[in-house]
Amino acid sequence: MDTGTKISGIAHVGLIGAALFGGAFTSAPPPVEVQDVSVVTAEQFAALLEAQEPPETATEPEAPTPPQTEDETPGVTPPTPEPEVDLTAPEATDAPETEEVPETLPDPLPPQPETEAVDTAPSIEPPQELDTPLPPAATARPEPRPAERIAPQPVAAPPPDTRIDDAPTPDTSPDPGAQTPEEQEEATAQEEVTDRIAPETAESDSLAPAASIRPPSSRPRAPTRTAEPETDNTRDAVNAALEEALGGTDTPDPTPVPTGPPLTSGEKSDLILAVSNCWNVGSLSTEALNTTVIVGVKMTEDAKPIASSIRLISSFGGSEAAANQAFQAARRAILRCGARGYALPVEKYGQWRDIEMTFNPERMRIR
Amino acid sequence: MKWVVFFAATVVSLTLSGLTGTGALAQSSGPLRIEITEGVVEPLPFAVPDFIPNGSAAGEYSRNLSRVIAADLSGTGLFREVPASAHISKVTDFNAPIKFADWKAINTQALITGSVSVSGGNATVQFRVWDVFSGQELGNGLQFAGPVEGWRRMAHKVADEVYSRITGESPYFDSRVVFVSESGPKNDRRKRLAIMDYDGANLQYLTDSAAIVLAPRFSPTGDRVLYTSYESGFPRIYVLDIGKVTRRVLESTDGIMSFAPRFSPDGKTVVFSLSQGGNTDLYSMNVNSGSKKRLTQTPSIETAPSYSPDGRQIVFESDRSGTQQLYIMPSSGGEARRISFGEGRYGTPVWSPRGDLIAFTKQAGGRFHIGVMKTDGSEERLLTASFLDESPTWSPNGRVIMFSRETQGAQGRSSLYSVDITGRNLRPVRTPDGGSDPSWSPLQR
Repeated sequence: MDTGTKISGIAHVGLIGAALFGGAFTSAPPPVEVQDVSVVTAEQFAALLEAQEPPETATEPEAPTPPQTEDETPGVTPPTPEPEVDLTAPEATDAPETEEVPETLPDPLPPQPETEAVDTAPSIEPPQELDTPLPPAATARPEPRPAERIAPQPVAAPPPDTRIDDAPTPDTSPDPGAQTPEEQEEATAQEEVTDRIAPETAESDSLAPAASIRPPSSRPRAPTRTAEPETDNTRDAVNAALEEALGGTDTPDPTPVPTGPPLTSGEKSDLILAVSNCWNVGSLSTEALNTTVIVGVKMTEDAKPIASSIRLISSFGGSEAAANQAFQAARRAILRCGARGYALPVEKYGQWRDIEMTFNPERMRIR
Repeated sequence: MKWVVFFAATVVSLTLSGLTGTGALAQSSGPLRIEITEGVVEPLPFAVPDFIPNGSAAGEYSRNLSRVIAADLSGTGLFREVPASAHISKVTDFNAPIKFADWKAINTQALITGSVSVSGGNATVQFRVWDVFSGQELGNGLQFAGPVEGWRRMAHKVADEVYSRITGESPYFDSRVVFVSESGPKNDRRKRLAIMDYDGANLQYLTDSAAIVLAPRFSPTGDRVLYTSYESGFPRIYVLDIGKVTRRVLESTDGIMSFAPRFSPDGKTVVFSLSQGGNTDLYSMNVNSGSKKRLTQTPSIETAPSYSPDGRQIVFESDRSGTQQLYIMPSSGGEARRISFGEGRYGTPVWSPRGDLIAFTKQAGGRFHIGVMKTDGSEERLLTASFLDESPTWSPNGRVIMFSRETQGAQGRSSLYSVDITGRNLRPVRTPDGGSDPSWSPLQR
């Protein structure tokens, strides 16, 4: 064994021993939090709890006081009666007075901007002369003639072109009642001779009367119409009628109503649904269930039906009695569900002021 | 080019018309037209306050009258009474104006007001019917007078009038029903003829229970009843005068069974079944002379004949095709036409007083039904279904059918029921004992 090996062995043994016994392989324990705990018995803990005052508990909510009621007696209270109404029999309702609404004229159109006519062509600044000479222009262009580019007044639209109708126009036939001018015929000499010789007919010897004798008419003669003197009132009335017919009067419509566009299908459906909900056919006879009635009704501007205006326009499918029963059911439906007004757009009042409702019970019949 | 010009002209035209408010779209041409095809089927709310008594003697009838009227109307299923506890205003004067707003508020659509006075054993009843929502009287006020003990009939007549004015149907409350009253268990059942008001009141027995009685049938005038009795041991047809409670045998031939009789509409002829030698055929008999005429001559069983309202045809049941089916033939006899073709067996046909429908009993799938069909056999509708429903009879107006229903088991009970021809409003008819084989009278005069 050489010296180097010995030295190495001794060094390794020393190193290993220092590592084993020097604490090189032992790690320091992690720090532990320490808390002092005092141990008490169950009796002691109980004694401690008794010695402490009980914590304040949450205060119990007070018993709710019942709401004060005006009437302590249970049961159905009758609904508040409506204010007294006129108990007299309903008279024929006059047409509701319509307030005179000033005719709302469409706002005047904004004046069209006047286009200024320029008589002179705008001046164009001459281009700066370049140092380099340009080639000469090919031709000298004439100056534009000053003219109105835009007319100061709009030109009326040209009349529409004539459209050839697909359907042929039927041949006209002379009106039998029409007066046709008679052609003036030049008077000619009466023909005194003919190409036939007519024998003279002998006069009849019969004395029989041409007509039977009838008793004289006892009917009084119709009074002859005498021309009434034209009075100023008559003349004024005629003039007024003419003016009205010709549209020359300037008096506005006494009851202008907003017409608006036609009701949409949704608006119509809402109305149909509303009336349907009150159309009770459960108490109708089987014959009335076979009867379709068309009922007319006028509406107020707040979409309520006018009871006196509800009328039977026509019916089919049943007897008169059955039609009457069907009409009564329809009237009840219109009035019941229209008592608070139907959901109709007021801006289209003119479209639904008069309504014709067809009550067709075909789907409701006994099958 | 022409189209361009036309288009431009149209645009200008529409623009101008729109500015002036005279466009075609904005114009309202005539009234708005809508069509209502769907409604609701529910009882019509009505109110009938107690009738105003004129004098102390009328006091006890004041409430009774209104209660019978209310029961009649509510019993149809077409009306619903608004109870008195909901009434806001009271009717204290028959001639006072009606406070329609008070009745509208409780959704009363028909209001019946009335008064009653009693003098010397006679009662006078006045009434009016109001359409509340239109604020109008339906028809005119009406007055009935009669003996005070007939106050129920007067109430029925008032209800009849109200019913007709509102529904348009002819009335049926003032009518009676003759039926077979049954008591005891099935194996020892006692049967006797009984007559009552259509609502079960005023019941009276016409026969005792000594002999089995079957199939009573009213005469067209309501004063006589045909029925079949086993009093002699054989079933025989009797005719009974209701007013005198006297009877006589209509058909009596020894050894021959006669049954299922029914009057012709004029009351002069009776059609019935006659069983002889194991074969059953239909015969008609003149009530006064007793002369008979054979209407069918087949080896099958023909029975349950019923005249059409005009008396020209007879509907009956027959098993000539192998199963029990319905046939129609001329009332004088002749070729019969089958009208029932559904599954099961059909029997006891009865022609409606209106002439448009035939009521019948149908047995199919182990259950019995009361049904109706048109006279050509089409549009068959089954209105009921139970262990045993049979013997339909029509109300005088052809709107309601009364029939007998028997429950299952040894202790099963037979009782009377009524149903609207819509199939709604099935309800029992009040009888003290059981009941079967009802026959509805015509409207009383």
